[in-house]
Amino acid sequence: MAGATRTNLVKGDTSEANAVAAVAVAVAALLFALSLAALFELVTISDPVGGVPVVTLLGLILAALGGAVITFGVGSFLSYVETQPSPSAGLVATTALSGVWFTVGGLVASQTLGLGGLTWLPVALLAGGGAFALTALPREDIGSTLPAGALTLLTGLVFITGTIGPAWVWELGFQQQASFTAEFVIPTATLFAALLSGWAAAKAYGGFGARGRHMGAYVLIYLNASSIVGVLFVLVAFTAMKGIPGLLNGARVGLGVGPAVGPVALPVSVPFVMNGAGLFAEVKGVLPAIVGTIWLVVGAVLFAVPLGVGAAIFLTEYAERGRLTQVVEVATNGLWSTPSIVFGLFGFAFLVPRFGGNKSLISGMLTLGFMLLPLVLITSREAIIAVPDEYRDASAALGVSRWQTIRSVVIPAALPGVVTGIILGVGRIAGETAPILLTMTGGTFISGGQTVDVIGGFRFTTSPPFVANPELLEATTALPFQLFALIKAGVGLGDNVASPEQFQWATALMLLVVVLSFYAIGIGARYYFRRRLNHE
Amino acid sequence: MSETTQAEAERTDAETAPDQPLETTSGETEEQVREEWREYAFDGRTKLAAEDLDVHYSDDHALKGVSIEIPENSVTALIGPSGCGKSTFLRCLNRMNDRIRSARVDGSVRIDGEEIYQDGVNLVELRKRVGMVFQSPNPFPKSIRENISYGPEKHGDLQTGLLARLLDRSDEDEREQLVERCLRDAALWDEVNDRLDDNALGLSGGQQQRLCIARCLSVDPEVILMDEPASALDPIATAKIEDLIDQLSEEYTVVIVTHNMQQAARISDQTAVFLTGGELVEYGDTDQVFENPHSERVEDYITGKFG
Repeated sequence: MAGATRTNLVKGDTSEANAVAAVAVAVAALLFALSLAALFELVTISDPVGGVPVVTLLGLILAALGGAVITFGVGSFLSYVETQPSPSAGLVATTALSGVWFTVGGLVASQTLGLGGLTWLPVALLAGGGAFALTALPREDIGSTLPAGALTLLTGLVFITGTIGPAWVWELGFQQQASFTAEFVIPTATLFAALLSGWAAAKAYGGFGARGRHMGAYVLIYLNASSIVGVLFVLVAFTAMKGIPGLLNGARVGLGVGPAVGPVALPVSVPFVMNGAGLFAEVKGVLPAIVGTIWLVVGAVLFAVPLGVGAAIFLTEYAERGRLTQVVEVATNGLWSTPSIVFGLFGFAFLVPRFGGNKSLISGMLTLGFMLLPLVLITSREAIIAVPDEYRDASAALGVSRWQTIRSVVIPAALPGVVTGIILGVGRIAGETAPILLTMTGGTFISGGQTVDVIGGFRFTTSPPFVANPELLEATTALPFQLFALIKAGVGLGDNVASPEQFQWATALMLLVVVLSFYAIGIGARYYFRRRLNHE
Repeated sequence: MSETTQAEAERTDAETAPDQPLETTSGETEEQVREEWREYAFDGRTKLAAEDLDVHYSDDHALKGVSIEIPENSVTALIGPSGCGKSTFLRCLNRMNDRIRSARVDGSVRIDGEEIYQDGVNLVELRKRVGMVFQSPNPFPKSIRENISYGPEKHGDLQTGLLARLLDRSDEDEREQLVERCLRDAALWDEVNDRLDDNALGLSGGQQQRLCIARCLSVDPEVILMDEPASALDPIATAKIEDLIDQLSEEYTVVIVTHNMQQAARISDQTAVFLTGGELVEYGDTDQVFENPHSERVEDYITGKFG
């Protein structure tokens, strides 16, 4: 555009305009994070910051952002900024933008202007059609910035003028009196506006064309990925914040304050974790549930892993691919998709009567073991198939038998994958409530003295079967069940615990900690096996 | 399909006159050429002998009536275009084709006069005597030391496990000697002797291939089969492997498949040429095969007129 000597290889001096676009991208990212925070109520939208309510502030930023995006687009169109736009913004952008504008037009007509009946439809069609024409017809620099920037500008104006203020509520008029409050609508609108204008600004930063599209997609994907991390972090932080007061209730640090482990007393005392819920316990705790959860998972893993890995080895290394392996494959996938309550019913009807007729720890272990089995089988199979055939050939060429090859070459190479499967499976079963509700759990508030002691429970006799373990045959409790009983069923609140809400949140936090600990162990194991395989 | 098999059977029969006599460079029919290389005489003892070897993969006739005798302590090169059955033939010699479910082998292969395609053959013993090196280097994801000692340990010739150590029967010293001997024989000792505990996958491609040769030597084979061992390597690594093959032929019988005709000419004592369709077309001293081939098709192939 500028002259015959211009090349696309090296960009001219448009660094100032580029800096504006980069700042716009950063602002959009900031808005995205802010709106997420507001959505999770980490930021309250009605609070004033520096004398200005957060809502107005958001509106101002949005308006500025939208204005910047539009200015850049127009500047590029008028060749003030050096870019390489495509002839059109493309089908996907057109569809998305006209869809958004259709919705916005309809909402404005029916809600803000209060037009009754179907009169919103022509307005919506007009807005959508306008956005369609504006995106599809002009060159890419106008097509992708103008509709997105105008929407952001509009959202900002709506916030600034107070059309949607902190006290705004949209009554949907349904029977359950559902309504959208400003606390939900404002962050959500900000989120979408930020995404749209962030995308447009990133395209502008890349100078449109192929590079611009790459930048736009990159910003969208990057914001997506980081919002996943953000959501996870918020979830954990939220639970931790709510749970820590209850967890540390009555906690003390000092020489000899904790419970005795052998001859030595621990220097820390955290009653919530170290006590049961006995009548005379000063601070009630969930020790029996923690221990119950850990034994449950250990038992399920001990049951499912040898079976699952063994079956995977047979199916991949020995069985000829045919009808049998296909049937097993379908059955395994079906088993993995089976709802957990069905497993619970199976355990209740099949396992419980076979272990003395009472709910018992071992019934729970086996039920969860059955649930874990298909995932271990599926992932182990994938991992074993992924071991290169060259290893098997090399081993066979040395005259080593098939079983020895599997044991010394195939399984070590497949172990990281197998461990990944176990991690995923444990993550699922450790938090399961329904199966253990039916097969394992007794009372909610169990005193510390009744904490299950599987290792100490083994009794050796001189006659067959030589070993017995009454502890395995007794009902106990586990964290997910305890949480369910505390919150949903409202078992024993008030009489047993001083502050029920603290107790509930602390239980939830403990469940999270236990499950994440299993996770950490699994990831550590996988890392170890991988290192051994690759570096030694 | 069956008709061609019939035709093959007839053609390999010495008594039957060929239907279509093919012109060769010396004016003989192909049948006469075939007879000539069949009676190819070499100094030394026959190590491997194949007779009327046919291989089918499902319906695909991959190898047609191959008969060949391979002398002891020499290098025999198998050359020919892609898909001509030379790798298939190689894999027949240690029964690696057993691992392919659709493969069917008919005919006879004898090692030191003993038939390997009969019931009751101990595959462990056979593969200990006939080792194999593959096209792409395939060391195990273990340490260099473990790669070498893997075979003998699995065969029970070396005791290095925990139990052996507890019972004071551990063969640690023997293992060290074995590792050093094999690595020296494979011309790799000087490059890796200070990092025997490193993972073998950290070696370069050429080193990995020599490690695979060393691993193959660890079970004390008599024959070493090599399936294009240098095709994935750079010229320097290839030269090292070629030198190594030359040294190995003093003690071992080496059979090597190669695409590279210069390589075959450089390293082999005798050459067998397979051509498309799974036939063995010519077999003789390498010099004779390359300089004065009897068959016109072989000459075309060697001079590059036909691939």
